[in-house]
Amino acid sequence: MSSCPKTIYLDNAATTFPKPPEVIRSMLEGYECLGVSPGRGGYDLAVRAEEFVTGVRRQISEFFGGHDPNRVVFSYNATDALNTIICGLVEPGCHVVSSRLEHNSVLRPLHYLREQGLITLDLLPFDSNGFIDPQDVAKAIRLETGLVILTHASNVLGTIQPVQEIGRICYERKVPFAIDVSQSAGVVPIDMRTWHLDAIAFTGHKSLLGPTGIGGLVLRDGLDVRASRFGGTGVDSHSLAHTEEYPQHLEPGTINMLGVIGLSAGMRYIAELGLQNIYEHEMRLLRKLRDGLASFKRVRLYCADSMNNHLPLFMLNIDGISAADLGAILDGDFNIAVRTGLHCAPLVHQDLNTSPYGGVRFSLGPLNVPEDIDAVLDAFQVILESSL
Amino acid sequence: MGRHEDVNVRNRDKTAVVGNNVLFDEEGFLVNPDAWDETMAENIARALELSELSEFHWQVIRFLRKYYVSMGKAPLNNELRKGAGLSLTQIERIFPGGIKFGARRIAGLPNPKSC
Repeated sequence: MSSCPKTIYLDNAATTFPKPPEVIRSMLEGYECLGVSPGRGGYDLAVRAEEFVTGVRRQISEFFGGHDPNRVVFSYNATDALNTIICGLVEPGCHVVSSRLEHNSVLRPLHYLREQGLITLDLLPFDSNGFIDPQDVAKAIRLETGLVILTHASNVLGTIQPVQEIGRICYERKVPFAIDVSQSAGVVPIDMRTWHLDAIAFTGHKSLLGPTGIGGLVLRDGLDVRASRFGGTGVDSHSLAHTEEYPQHLEPGTINMLGVIGLSAGMRYIAELGLQNIYEHEMRLLRKLRDGLASFKRVRLYCADSMNNHLPLFMLNIDGISAADLGAILDGDFNIAVRTGLHCAPLVHQDLNTSPYGGVRFSLGPLNVPEDIDAVLDAFQVILESSL
Repeated sequence: MGRHEDVNVRNRDKTAVVGNNVLFDEEGFLVNPDAWDETMAENIARALELSELSEFHWQVIRFLRKYYVSMGKAPLNNELRKGAGLSLTQIERIFPGGIKFGARRIAGLPNPKSC
């Protein structure tokens, strides 16, 4: 594996790669020392492992402006966390507000619940620049609305949604507001308290720079989320009833200790470099890429005219070449890895008229360098000249 | 034309029947890649408005077939470039429909079901 061929990796919105060497080292060293079941035994090592996990809960809570480290619940990934929050908050007969920008991790649980006749659902549109209008949220909320759940930033368009304004609306209307921060966590600041967020669902392996298999929820104090899975928690073991204590209430079974170690290391790496510095670096490269690609006549960029309120990603198509083929050519001829297709967000593509074949997404990470952008622009020059 | 004269591989068609019950999926890919032969390739090519397959086309088609039959899967992008002896940019250019909807369909490979 040490002789991995050099790939220009521009699929960081799927997962960041490679991980910083510091993260990999911390995982190896941490797991060698603490790879036991945290919170389950009385021996010193298990106690130390539990203390470590508690420290990571504190680290996450502070990172997101949470209320209480015990309200940080680990999951396998964001999809797992989103299923937990959706199924744990909605009641039969409840109305849910979401959007057409969502990933299937939100759309599919909601669709399932609607198909079962358990909820009614409004999916809000986005405008031609890729943004949801907070006033649409205000208009959609009704008496029986039990949840507003939105992506913080589109995984297809990169547009960062006005969740602060929406949070204020939901707070005033007393409707729980949850956001999916899969794409934004580790890229831009998130502050649960001042933004009036009741829950956020995150994944560890994208811009938080941890490994796959770890994610979680951060919940507002007092938010009651019904458990949908039950089992061993290391607390209240005498009772056959599942514990009401957080975080164990939503965390049955042994957690992914290696993932927790890696997530913590990824967040430390971000803190050392500075969130703002990483964002500025990525956006500088993205602007260079956008400007270069926009100069090619047959390239069509989606919602990338302005880079304000934008993540370091965008999608494009070339007239006359399918997205799948463009991705294959970039990979096979130029060693450039990008994500093609629908990006698990089918409604965005319906509305952009890019369904069913989607587009080609470029997403940058902290380890990309200007030479990566030059390579993409050179590749496009060759591809476009060749396919005239 | 031979027994595949009514081949129909336009995008988004519903399952089409070719001659003697060869099935294509809704995107024009062979449902059973083992049903493929070179006559069928010529007919699929004609349906894609490629009147004649050149030696370059056959180079790509034969590599795809050989790889698929021996490995049970399509080649990786890099393997296709090396094995076919053409860049993917060139393959894209010479096949109507490009790599996926041209070369792969004519070579009778299954539909790559990725999104």
